[in-house]
Amino acid sequence: MDVKNLNPIIAATDSVFQTMLSVKPEKGKVSIQEDLVTDKEANVIIGMTGDIKGSIVYSFSKDMALKVVEAMSGMEMQELDKFVTSAMGELGNIISGKATTGLAEQDLNCDIAPPQIVTGKDINISSESDKVLMVKFNTDLGEFDVGFSIN
Amino acid sequence: MIWKDEYKIGVELVDEQHKELFKRLGDFTQTVRSDKEKSDKKKEVEKTLSFMGEYVVTHFNAEEALQKKYKYPDFEKHHQIHDDFKAEVAKFQQKYQANAYDEDFVMEFSGRLLTWLINHVASTDQDIGEHINSIQEKEEESK
Repeated sequence: MDVKNLNPIIAATDSVFQTMLSVKPEKGKVSIQEDLVTDKEANVIIGMTGDIKGSIVYSFSKDMALKVVEAMSGMEMQELDKFVTSAMGELGNIISGKATTGLAEQDLNCDIAPPQIVTGKDINISSESDKVLMVKFNTDLGEFDVGFSIN
Repeated sequence: MIWKDEYKIGVELVDEQHKELFKRLGDFTQTVRSDKEKSDKKKEVEKTLSFMGEYVVTHFNAEEALQKKYKYPDFEKHHQIHDDFKAEVAKFQQKYQANAYDEDFVMEFSGRLLTWLINHVASTDQDIGEHINSIQEKEEESK
């Protein structure tokens, strides 16, 4: 696993948040973890196949997920209902699609699967990978994590 | 209100149509999220969805005509994206009409639709604006 593989995902995250939400995410700490454990309630998992096999996981706090969907819809959101999780899932799909374009520039051809949503507290998202690259982001709408696990 | 001026592509006709499209999208999502009785809701969701769907076709046609007029290099790709989107809405409408009101199914579809349309307008369509405006600038210079 190479940290440079993370760069297209970071760039795609940055670009999508700016164009769609007019929000500039500040990149925080990058860490390597054994497992993908998150304390955030709204998780979007995008499976990846091709030259890289693994998954990208976007983890948002409930509060941030609600704020993002409120910003997009102009409506008040109370719960992580299907509307909210599906809107967030599509956001993860769009970021990941853009990231594959960036990976292709590193000569890595990858396809992505439709988003899977996992909600709840202290989730352990099991995967076949030994290590997960994690990057934290801070925005005006809250904090979120992006994990990249390569099998 | 879903529309934001940041989503403008700088081509007046397209921006006006995007505004109208987002207005209809707002009517649809508000109906989906309203607390009405299922029986009332089913009809209203159907109505606001078809109201939006009709406008999607009007708008896509107008936008594609502009792309052709200005020889937009990504026309084929963009046309395909529009076609796929229309097919997905039609598929939803069919399933929706054939079954009883399924809250999860409708909520899932409309959440995805919201994000998809914002991305399409705020990101994918921006290249059309750049293309058309660069041609218009050249035309101005050569006058």
